[in-house]
Amino acid sequence: MVGIAAVFQKKNLGKPWQPGAQPSTVEESPRPRLLIPSFARTVFLLVVVLGFTACGPKQTTSDEFPRHETVLIGVAWGEPTSFNPILQNPSWPALQNTTALYQTFFFFNQLTGELEPQLATSYQEFPDRIEVELNPAATWNDGKPLTARDVVFTYNRLFRIVPGFPAWQYLDSVQMLDPESPRPRRLSFRLRAEKPNPLMVLHWLTLNYVLPEHVWEPLLVAAGNDYNILSKNKMDVDPVGSGPYRMHSYSAEKIVLVRDDNYWGNAALYGGQRPAPRFLVAPLYKSNDHYSMALQQGRIDASNTFIPRIWLKARKGVRAWYDEPPYFPPGCRPTAFINVLHPPLDDVHLRRAMAFAINYDDIRELAVSGYSVPHEPGFILPFGPEARYFSKEDALKYGTYFDPARARAELKEGGYTSVFKDNELVELRDRTGKRVPTLYIQCPTGWSDWESIIRIMVRGMRAVGIDAREQFVDSNAYYKALAVGDFDLILTTPSGIPSPAEPWSRFNGVLDTKDWAPLGERMYANMGRFNRPGAPGYVPRIDELLAKIPVTTQPEERVALYRELNRICMQLQPALPLVYRPKSFYEFSTKVWTGFPSAASPTVSPNIPGEGPGIQILWKLRPADAAK
Amino acid sequence: MFANHPTLRYIAGRAGWYALTFFVAVAINFWLPRLGDANPVDTLMSKVSGSLDAKSARDKEESYLKEFGLVDLDEQGRIVRDADGVPVRTSILSQFIRYVGMSVRGDFGSSIVQYPRPVADIITTALPWTLALQIPALILGWFIGNSLGALAAYRRGVFDRVLYPMALLVSAIPSFCFGILLVYVFGIQLEWLPTLGGYDDGMNPGLTWAFVQSASQYYVLPFFSIFLLVVGGQAIGMRSMCIYELGTDYVRYAKLLGVRESMIVRYMFRNAMLPQLTGLALTLGGMVGGALIAEMIFSYPGLGLSMLTAIQSLDYPVITGCTLLVTICVLIANFTVDILIGFLDPRIRAAREGGH
Repeated sequence: MVGIAAVFQKKNLGKPWQPGAQPSTVEESPRPRLLIPSFARTVFLLVVVLGFTACGPKQTTSDEFPRHETVLIGVAWGEPTSFNPILQNPSWPALQNTTALYQTFFFFNQLTGELEPQLATSYQEFPDRIEVELNPAATWNDGKPLTARDVVFTYNRLFRIVPGFPAWQYLDSVQMLDPESPRPRRLSFRLRAEKPNPLMVLHWLTLNYVLPEHVWEPLLVAAGNDYNILSKNKMDVDPVGSGPYRMHSYSAEKIVLVRDDNYWGNAALYGGQRPAPRFLVAPLYKSNDHYSMALQQGRIDASNTFIPRIWLKARKGVRAWYDEPPYFPPGCRPTAFINVLHPPLDDVHLRRAMAFAINYDDIRELAVSGYSVPHEPGFILPFGPEARYFSKEDALKYGTYFDPARARAELKEGGYTSVFKDNELVELRDRTGKRVPTLYIQCPTGWSDWESIIRIMVRGMRAVGIDAREQFVDSNAYYKALAVGDFDLILTTPSGIPSPAEPWSRFNGVLDTKDWAPLGERMYANMGRFNRPGAPGYVPRIDELLAKIPVTTQPEERVALYRELNRICMQLQPALPLVYRPKSFYEFSTKVWTGFPSAASPTVSPNIPGEGPGIQILWKLRPADAAK
Repeated sequence: MFANHPTLRYIAGRAGWYALTFFVAVAINFWLPRLGDANPVDTLMSKVSGSLDAKSARDKEESYLKEFGLVDLDEQGRIVRDADGVPVRTSILSQFIRYVGMSVRGDFGSSIVQYPRPVADIITTALPWTLALQIPALILGWFIGNSLGALAAYRRGVFDRVLYPMALLVSAIPSFCFGILLVYVFGIQLEWLPTLGGYDDGMNPGLTWAFVQSASQYYVLPFFSIFLLVVGGQAIGMRSMCIYELGTDYVRYAKLLGVRESMIVRYMFRNAMLPQLTGLALTLGGMVGGALIAEMIFSYPGLGLSMLTAIQSLDYPVITGCTLLVTICVLIANFTVDILIGFLDPRIRAAREGGH
């Protein structure tokens, strides 16, 4: 505060000092008092000056990762924690469905539904096993050959100690078929006899990494085969993988990979070419908006984050897979699960009345930025690889399209009466005249697109006389409620990652009864507890179909089985499918790099580089002029 | 024992109260997030359970519960179960006792969401950015705001009539709006300054000229988003305080006596400053918590986001780690001010000395 007094001294400086008081110190005294403000002023000026020098043209020459040699992607979230691929949720690029550093056997192309070769060249399905052949050229980035021994070690030793490792539900063991060979490359994945499901095994073959035995065996021994000890290793110092990029560096703000010029696949898979960008960088911004802004400014080249109203970004050079609606290939099905153990939701008339009452076009246009195609009833997607299982005829005959009159008819058929007063719904009464308690539709608070979906559902249901209301809860409470069945209706998306197991896995997510648990205990599929075996009204055919579809090899038979299952779902309405959503978003900017695939040239599955099959894009990119 | 040392007695008394406050605050910070029905393992499970059957899911859940110390273990390290085979959850009290034991040894545990990253690591990577952004902005803003406010009160005239409404305007804008405004004007429309992150995406942090230059570009907007608000708020407060002091008897009396004006100003200042000083201490103490908005708007590195995600996902160890830090900051800042004011404010000094 001495300092601030000094500011006022200025006012006095012009006046003559009173003579005699302290003649010798008068001249001196202001100086020390000015110390602090002068310091403050200096710092302030420094900041301003720095700020304005900062406004000059951006220098790129001193950058460690020159822009024209770097592809930046919005793919990673949160600060890097660990790059240990045996963790359930490690940081990118050790994260599942990333193929830059560690690799899987196949890429899954969500446009064609085909498996494309990565570490493996081919596979063959048998009733009890799947045989896979490795690429003989496959090599680890430390130069050692990648053989079937690594695969057997990865599964039978490493994945064995991972608690709840999902593939073991369907997989019994992995064996080498040519163990005598100097470089074994033929493998047999034996299915679990009690749950034979080649679809899910193929699903895991597109997702599970193969890890090097010569690196992990010593680690495993040192950890005494204890998962909790082994998983504490961050695996962040130049980890050995088999992919086209290696770890370069990471900080709380970005993760950097550098091209491995000795990548085995350049010769074996890409005709001797190497990927164009030398660096693959994932900056870690703090919200979707920041990725959107960075993409518009050309600071990043591609992103899989949600960007609302993408058509407005086109003039800034930001593009999506399609240049017009739905902009992204839709791939999954946000669904309202119905808790059939909360009466009267066990009544199919009420469930179907709800399905007729929802304005699906409003949801598509208003809630999800139009990133969807017109809605068809049932759980099969009427486009893409699943279209062959979809029957428009069945949909028209059994399905529930938006139709308030039919919603009212269903209510009437179920014996319900709705009481309105001044056009406002007061209550819904069941057949005995008793008031039906208000039905709440739940989703996490702040998930704005889902909140909008629920508002549209509520409006439609109340208009036809169903007493429904929104219930937006804390996301932690939501997850718990979802698992233990503490809801009337709840929004969720059955089956997430693009997978060769679809649409079976989606049906299974809604209908699975093998892991039945009562309300209050956890279920991770069929959280609405539909079709409990042995309960009145149990439909055994559903469980039969779920068991039969994965082991059916005849395509025509599979079509018939899927059609039947979808028909049952439309008739019994176990849940309310609401809209189609992209599996992941795909946006790119051509400011620095060109050659991104899009609907016009669909050379690669619509995944950005750094996400599953999207890594193949890096061989197609060419520097744009802007980079020079 | 301090009978003959009123100052020491005063400091010891304050310190005692602060120690008590500290323990109560730590206990509340520990308890509050754990009171609800949900727990972080549910959140984790929801992310990984999509493809699990019931048994795998249960194995996984129990391995999480064990790892994060949320269930009781027997001597062999196995999970204690009740009659139905359901794991027995550790009571909050025993969790608390273990937490205090670990904290005393300097071990704050591992994050649950960012598992296996230690909490100490999360805080030490992020804290320097938060401090480097906030401390200069708050302190410079405080000095400049107070100087301007005092100047406005003292000089009146045009200076006051321009400064006062401007300060009012700036301090009335919510800080997030102000940040977004800066981003829009200087980042998007004029494209003068970068608005995302703490330094260029093309480099890694290091002590090079290029990095310092890049970091200083990225520093400007977040800095001003905090600095200008502090200046505005402080200027208004100081101006009113000074105007009040200018009208007091002692100032008039001093003027009548012909005391040098600089001397009067100094006296006036000491009085007008006291509340402002307390304000500074409180802002510095709340700095870590207040960091969130600027960091979110500018994607600036720092502790804010770690704290927000921790709270959203009930990451107990990170929440307790951060709140411990906030508690310590607030208490130290207040303690310092208490002591300083004790020395600076003649009324408190007099009361203390007269009272024993």
